[in-house]
Amino acid sequence: MRDPLSRRTFLKSSALAVAAIAASGSAAAAAEQFSAGPGNEPDDDVKKVLREKFGTRVIREGHITLDVPDVAPDSREVPLLIESDLPMTPDNYVKGIHIVVDHNPDIYLAGFDFTAAIGAATLDTRIKMRRSSAVRIIAETSKGELWTTSRFVYTSLNGCV
Amino acid sequence: MRDDVGQGKIILPVKIARNSVINIRALLSHPMLTGMSRDQAGIPIPAYFVNDVVITYGGEHVAHFEWSSGISRDPFVGFSLRADKEAPVTITWKDNKGGVYTQSADIKFAVA
Repeated sequence: MRDPLSRRTFLKSSALAVAAIAASGSAAAAAEQFSAGPGNEPDDDVKKVLREKFGTRVIREGHITLDVPDVAPDSREVPLLIESDLPMTPDNYVKGIHIVVDHNPDIYLAGFDFTAAIGAATLDTRIKMRRSSAVRIIAETSKGELWTTSRFVYTSLNGCV
Repeated sequence: MRDDVGQGKIILPVKIARNSVINIRALLSHPMLTGMSRDQAGIPIPAYFVNDVVITYGGEHVAHFEWSSGISRDPFVGFSLRADKEAPVTITWKDNKGGVYTQSADIKFAVA
């Protein structure tokens, strides 16, 4: 019994550490729920950009898959892989793919216009992100339909340099 | 300033079958500056980025990309193309300071 206090403080601190780990786990779960729910809802600035680009046309979810890391290792180079199962025939094809990042200085990041000669609406590129934000992909068909998908991407540093 | 701006390449699949949809990858050396950063003396570095990319296949317009400075440095883009003729694919990159860079690659079908 030379140093009973150190043992007591050790036990206390380890108990605190366990509690902290448990709390961080529940915080991560809460963050995920947020991104799946209201976090993916576009804010007013994004809605304005979408209205300027697409007017009042309805943008529906589906037909687009976006492959992007949940946590970007380097926010200066976030890889995006976009694929679509929409038809690519001369009378009905994907006319354009648009990339919208909610919290970037340029919300409308890039537009890719295609013709039917492309054969498949796939796209592979790398973008910069200022901070954790939703990445939205909007595909426009030659018939005027709009299809979208979005993913929330966590980043650490400002990549817009 | 870098001296390799405008160099790039187009990567085609090794074997291309007639009428198949191939994946083309293109890369360009370009700093893609947003205009939001400053140098060590605190002077803002002006924006300098590729904002217009046109792709033609055998002289026909195939795709057109409109970019902001949000595309990463040394821009990379991969896209599909239906290889229905033996013809060159040409990519013309234009930046906001008037630079025009052109690359070309010939699509040739593998001998069956």
